Amino acid sequence: MSYDDVEIEDMEWNGELQAYTYPCPCGDLFQITKDDLRLGEDIARCPSCSLYITVIYNAEDFADAAGKKSLEPSKQQPVAVA
Amino acid sequence: MMEEATKASSPSSSSAAAAAAAAGEEEEVWSWGAGTDGQLGTGRLADEHLPRLLSLSLPSSISLLACGGAHVIALSSGGRVFSWGRGSSGQLGHGEAATNCLTPKAVTSLEGYFIAGVSAGWSHSGFVSDTGCLFTCGDGSFGQLGHGNLESCSSPIEVSYFLSKHVDQIACGMRHSLVLLKGDPNNRVYGFGSCKRGQLGPTSNRTRSTSLPQAIQGLENIEIVSVVASGDHSAALSSGGRVYNWGRGFPGFSDVHSPIELSSLLRIKQIALGWNHALVLTDGGEALILGGNRHGVLGNLENLGLTNHRPDVSALVLERVPGLDGKKVMQIAAGAEHSALVTEDMEVMTWGWGEHGQLGLGSTCDWIEPQRVSLGHTLPDHWAKCSIYCGSGFTFVIRSRTSSGPHQDD
Ligand SMILES: [Zn+2]
Repeated sequence: MSYDDVEIEDMEWNGELQAYTYPCPCGDLFQITKDDLRLGEDIARCPSCSLYITVIYNAEDFADAAGKKSLEPSKQQPVAVA
Repeated sequence: MMEEATKASSPSSSSAAAAAAAAGEEEEVWSWGAGTDGQLGTGRLADEHLPRLLSLSLPSSISLLACGGAHVIALSSGGRVFSWGRGSSGQLGHGEAATNCLTPKAVTSLEGYFIAGVSAGWSHSGFVSDTGCLFTCGDGSFGQLGHGNLESCSSPIEVSYFLSKHVDQIACGMRHSLVLLKGDPNNRVYGFGSCKRGQLGPTSNRTRSTSLPQAIQGLENIEIVSVVASGDHSAALSSGGRVYNWGRGFPGFSDVHSPIELSSLLRIKQIALGWNHALVLTDGGEALILGGNRHGVLGNLENLGLTNHRPDVSALVLERVPGLDGKKVMQIAAGAEHSALVTEDMEVMTWGWGEHGQLGLGSTCDWIEPQRVSLGHTLPDHWAKCSIYCGSGFTFVIRSRTSSGPHQDD
């Protein structure tokens, strides 16, 4: 069972871990990478214990980024980036 | 395991114990639970499933501990502050953000003050001097340090908002802080940091955090004697023994954006908050629990049919902590998902989530009812005083007695 539902805006970007994080009650951090989010994954796990949270986010926010990076053609119109 | 236990109780480095003994005082510090950031003070980065007797090198006896997400702050009887555990956000106050610190290290920048109160949040810390000055350090990214910005700092900095006021207490939660002022009959409770879940009381719409202290509305004209914060919860205790709660809703309940009085006919003398549950201790020594439907902390709120509509906390019922056989409780403590108490005969009991050994029962099992924790071979009633403290996933006990003083039963 998911420990909690957490909105992505309440998670913090951790440059060292290269992941979005949120405090786990064990003292460690729930973590999910941008790649996970691009793939539609919504479970952030804690590396130290069995708990996990469900991340609430807008898939399109991350699918966009996937389109830019991925070698596969994006279905969306490419957006000009300055 | 046995080898380690011997090492931990070896007298070779027990200078503090020797100093205390010379002063006629006997003191023991025990820890167990999650330890991978060095928070247990064992000198190792590992969990402990059984209580470990520590040999902390501290100059004098400890009057108080504050346990946070993965760090510990010890206040000595002489008003000095020591800290250890995770320091990656500067929460140890050592002047540098270090990954972790395995043994107690003095917070030297506070040495000009006699510190009378400390609190440890998820990744920030607060210190109150006997003259009413408030200092904070650690993670400030939600404004939880109260300095008017979102900066983190690794040395305690005085919160200038309170320069002309006398701060009595600080309570640090996951991403917010509560402050209790002395002397001011109105507006004595202030808060800063994250307020999205209502943990700072009523705030203007869509405000997610505030980095400057603001008075908590809804507690005017109530004489508050203590404030408590943990996770996204906030609570205050009045001089009349009434409990006020606000912030994140307990499981099955909606968030509370204004302090609400818990309905209880009993007079309460202590509050302890977890991330999903609360404990209160009555004047009569009865422990009551509220919320928490995970890890066996408390039975099923789902069975009460509360899942569809989410009433506010005023509908919550305090339940008696089971399994105490009528024993009086002296003190309560709450970790994120576990609970602990000390009974009148100085027994330590724990229950709740046990995955990191935070219950000290030698396993990683969860327990619904309080279980007795075995601390060495001395009989519990050998001790005149026993204090318990919980961090997110770990637990500390301090026991003491004055060997030359009057017998405790006198
Ligand atoms: Zn964890």
